[in-house]
Amino acid sequence: MSCEMTEVRAPEVNAHVKERAGTINPMLDCQPAGAQFAGIGIQDCIPLVHGGQGCCMFVRLLFAQHFKENFDIASTSLHEDSAVFGGTKRIEEGVMVLAKRYPQLRVIPVITTCSTEVIGDDIEGTINLCNQALKREFPERDIYLVPVHTPSFKGSHVSGYDEAVKALVKTLAKKGEPTGKLNLFPGWVNPGDVILLKSYLSQMGVDGTIFMDTEDFDSPMLPDKSINTHGRTTVEDLQNSANACGSIAMARYEGASAAKHLENAFSVPQILTASPYGIRNTDRLLQSISDLTGQPIPDSLVKERGIALDAMADLAHMFFANKKVAIYGHADLVFGLAQFCMELEMEPALLLIGDDNTRYKKDPRIKELKETAAFDMEIVLNADLWDLEKRIKDKTVELDLIMGHSKGRYIAIDANIPMVRVGFPTFDRAGLYRKPLIGYRGAMELAETIANTLFAHMEYTKNREWILNTW
Amino acid sequence: MPMILLDCDKDIPERQRHIYLKAPGESTKDFLPIANVATIPGTLSERGCAFCGAKLVIGGVVKDAIQMIHGPVGCAYDTWHTKRYPSDNGHVPLKYVWSTDMKESHIVFGGEKRLEQSINEAFDAMPHMKRMFLYTTCPTALIGDDVKAVSKKVMQERPDVDIFTVECPGFSGVSQSKGHHVLNIGWVDQKVGSVEPEIKSPYTINFIGDYNIQGDTQLLQTYWDRLGIQVIAHFTGNANYDELRSMHRAKLSVVNCARSAGYIANELKKRYGIPRLDIDTWGFNYMAEGIRKVCAFFGIEERGEALIAEEYAKWKPKLDWYKERLKGKKMAIWTGGPRLWHWTKSVEDDMGIEVVAMSSKFGHEEDFEKVVARGREGTYYIDDANELEFFEILENIKPDIIFTGPRVGELVKKLHIPYINGHAYHNGPYMGFQGFVNMARDIYNATHSPLLGLAATDIRRTAKAKLALKEVA
Amino acid sequence: MDARAEELFDYVQERCLWQFHSRSWDRQENIEGIITKGIELLQGKTPAADTPKDRCFLADARIMVADFRSGFPWIKDADAAEIQQVMEQLAQLLVDVTVTHSKNRELSHHLY
Repeated sequence: MSCEMTEVRAPEVNAHVKERAGTINPMLDCQPAGAQFAGIGIQDCIPLVHGGQGCCMFVRLLFAQHFKENFDIASTSLHEDSAVFGGTKRIEEGVMVLAKRYPQLRVIPVITTCSTEVIGDDIEGTINLCNQALKREFPERDIYLVPVHTPSFKGSHVSGYDEAVKALVKTLAKKGEPTGKLNLFPGWVNPGDVILLKSYLSQMGVDGTIFMDTEDFDSPMLPDKSINTHGRTTVEDLQNSANACGSIAMARYEGASAAKHLENAFSVPQILTASPYGIRNTDRLLQSISDLTGQPIPDSLVKERGIALDAMADLAHMFFANKKVAIYGHADLVFGLAQFCMELEMEPALLLIGDDNTRYKKDPRIKELKETAAFDMEIVLNADLWDLEKRIKDKTVELDLIMGHSKGRYIAIDANIPMVRVGFPTFDRAGLYRKPLIGYRGAMELAETIANTLFAHMEYTKNREWILNTW
Repeated sequence: MPMILLDCDKDIPERQRHIYLKAPGESTKDFLPIANVATIPGTLSERGCAFCGAKLVIGGVVKDAIQMIHGPVGCAYDTWHTKRYPSDNGHVPLKYVWSTDMKESHIVFGGEKRLEQSINEAFDAMPHMKRMFLYTTCPTALIGDDVKAVSKKVMQERPDVDIFTVECPGFSGVSQSKGHHVLNIGWVDQKVGSVEPEIKSPYTINFIGDYNIQGDTQLLQTYWDRLGIQVIAHFTGNANYDELRSMHRAKLSVVNCARSAGYIANELKKRYGIPRLDIDTWGFNYMAEGIRKVCAFFGIEERGEALIAEEYAKWKPKLDWYKERLKGKKMAIWTGGPRLWHWTKSVEDDMGIEVVAMSSKFGHEEDFEKVVARGREGTYYIDDANELEFFEILENIKPDIIFTGPRVGELVKKLHIPYINGHAYHNGPYMGFQGFVNMARDIYNATHSPLLGLAATDIRRTAKAKLALKEVA
Repeated sequence: MDARAEELFDYVQERCLWQFHSRSWDRQENIEGIITKGIELLQGKTPAADTPKDRCFLADARIMVADFRSGFPWIKDADAAEIQQVMEQLAQLLVDVTVTHSKNRELSHHLY
């Protein structure tokens, strides 16, 4: 321990955009991938990706890697002739083939890509033609086609998800009798988060609809061999989103624009709440639900909160205090987890957001972090994973922990830094899609995962592992 | 009626021309699935795009080259963390991918400046890497960026670097296959002949069409080493960029994957007079035959026989243990194309397994000639099968094991059918003698998993039965 | 057609990749080259191995002939004329199926 006097300076929070033009090891996929993720959250729905076959095939693989499940997504299989003459005929053909071969099908989001946006295919006009053809061919069926414009050269899979949720709500929501239900837009979360959210709603006596309900993305092997891997959000859910008592957007950049649309178009009141990572943010969520529905927060959640705090208190200043953490991925996740880390006395010194959005710099969570951080923090927008690797290699940041998705695994492996997998995708750890990160329980379980990861690292590196000889 | 129209295809009857059920006495001059034609939109095909055929399959394997993808970030993201080709330099191909991360303004005003900047940044970021594969994608091809001009400029400014441009956007061709072709021809046009190798043996080969999946290349390399054969270039498993530039100096091109790399072997034959020898490297019988042929070419038969004898002594008893237990198992193969004909007879001869259905994503009619000639009667041969067809075929053939990709593997798991990763393997390598034992072991373990039986059990029935017994008592 | 040629044909169809190269002309070249070498080997002659192409044909032919000898005992008893005849029939059968009547639409593609 040093006794030198050092000059005390105020901690800095420096938010800036990545300096390089190109990307080395991207953190996020492109817009159509996000749109496809929104699409698979709907029941009786097969998204139709209008572009080259890779734009859909690899995204299906990505979902399979993360969820260890198969999801149905179709492609218009764009080829050279479409690049020259336009590809709208392939949408028409694709829609009819899907409708004919999948009798249960009710929704087809038509998702554009970079190529078809550059070509300039008229999606809305084509959908009109398809609607007429569908009426002729299947007069007894209602098949909803939803235009989703997601050129890959804008935003990222995060904005693509937001765009698709908004497009689905915009196209399908319609005024009817009030349902008294609450709309919840949780953002890009896992089935484990959705299940926990449902449990909170049920404990509060609130009838809610989750957009998108991905609970069954974790689906069983059954004796009758039935396959139930699909979204649970129905056409009716989307239609009735206009008739809810309110909306809660839990992720500023992932679905919040749909809640805003419902407010503007149908006067459904909405609350944008901080993504519920950590205790305080979960408090905010539950208070928001209570505010919109008038339902009190039940004792059971007070107890769950208390158990989480009790568990986290065992870990925080003993093991977590002053630990330097880098967090990367989606903005909502990274900001939320940074707040969570600070509740645990850790120091999220490096936040890497995988895309850019003019709204990021004005995010109130950055302001909050600036006000509360008692340590230097760097926030890199439009960051890639090289931003993390380079800082580690150059020793401009000394990290005790990395939190992020599996695509950055080799950074942690090569630098021998403990890493906790969070976000999407997390294919190199088993079952993470089942574990909630949101809510009190999510906070507790994540804190414990972090602790156990640090403990294992202490043991493998023989670094004060003896401290755990008695704990 | 050996070309089959499945029930699920009644609304797309043209699919009948792609599905063949082989009957006794028929040959490929009677029936052959048509292949390498455009997929019907909306069918849930398994196909990828031409870009991935070039980048993910072939170029991305090269271990000392930057893989610069000129386009939006997704093309890079999606062709990264999707293959299992390690390398002996710390798995560089698995760790990195590069993108120019095209944004709207570059689409509108052109992306050449962005590309130039990204290339320079990439070389600056990793100064030890001096070689680059540069790929176009759908949007950069559509806006017509001149990537060759940019790469030329950079090469002039940085004389120690070398860049290879591959122009095959995702929409070109009907599948990955187009990308294989473009990369093959581009490489022989642009790069072969530009480096002179150091010749260390009178026996030199190119080993073509093997991508070091789980170490295949490295396992086979031990054979070439023992035989005293120098591999001038591996196309492209565990390969260096510059070794691939010296392919013109080999005396023989030994070809495994004729689909993805037959083109370059043909061109080497045509342009440099290097003969092309096709072999199969999966399977005992085949591997031994391949080694015999290569050794016969060089007149070193006795070395080959010695190696085969050693390998047989070491591995054959292990293989036979599995063969005993796998006899009569029914297998389906749903992979890219060539593995259909590489495997159908080798698993039968070496493991006693019957292949009852095969689907190819990007094979050509040539691949179907090969597989139909080798495969069984009563077996389905399908081009570009889609999901509903898979379900119907499974119902018809009821396989014990399926070799396919992980996503389809997750799907068939629900049907209580085990899968083995037919692209990236479960626990490989699978080539060579040791590799085929690995493959047999993985099949054995998969088909003998207790979980499959448990999945079929309906506990409500057993519970009721117990309740009834209790009541009687 | 000699039933023995059919036996050999069945073997080659199942076993040999050289009959399935990309274009008609190189299939024909392979069939002719390898069968010619095979005839010479079976007739106890020493085939020419001067060029790389010769050596490659010979490598394929050697393995084929070894399998013929072990799989079809009659071949050891066949005289030179019989071998010539049955092997020529084999070549005809191969050309018929893999070239003349092949349904492969890429065989005559102008590019290699």
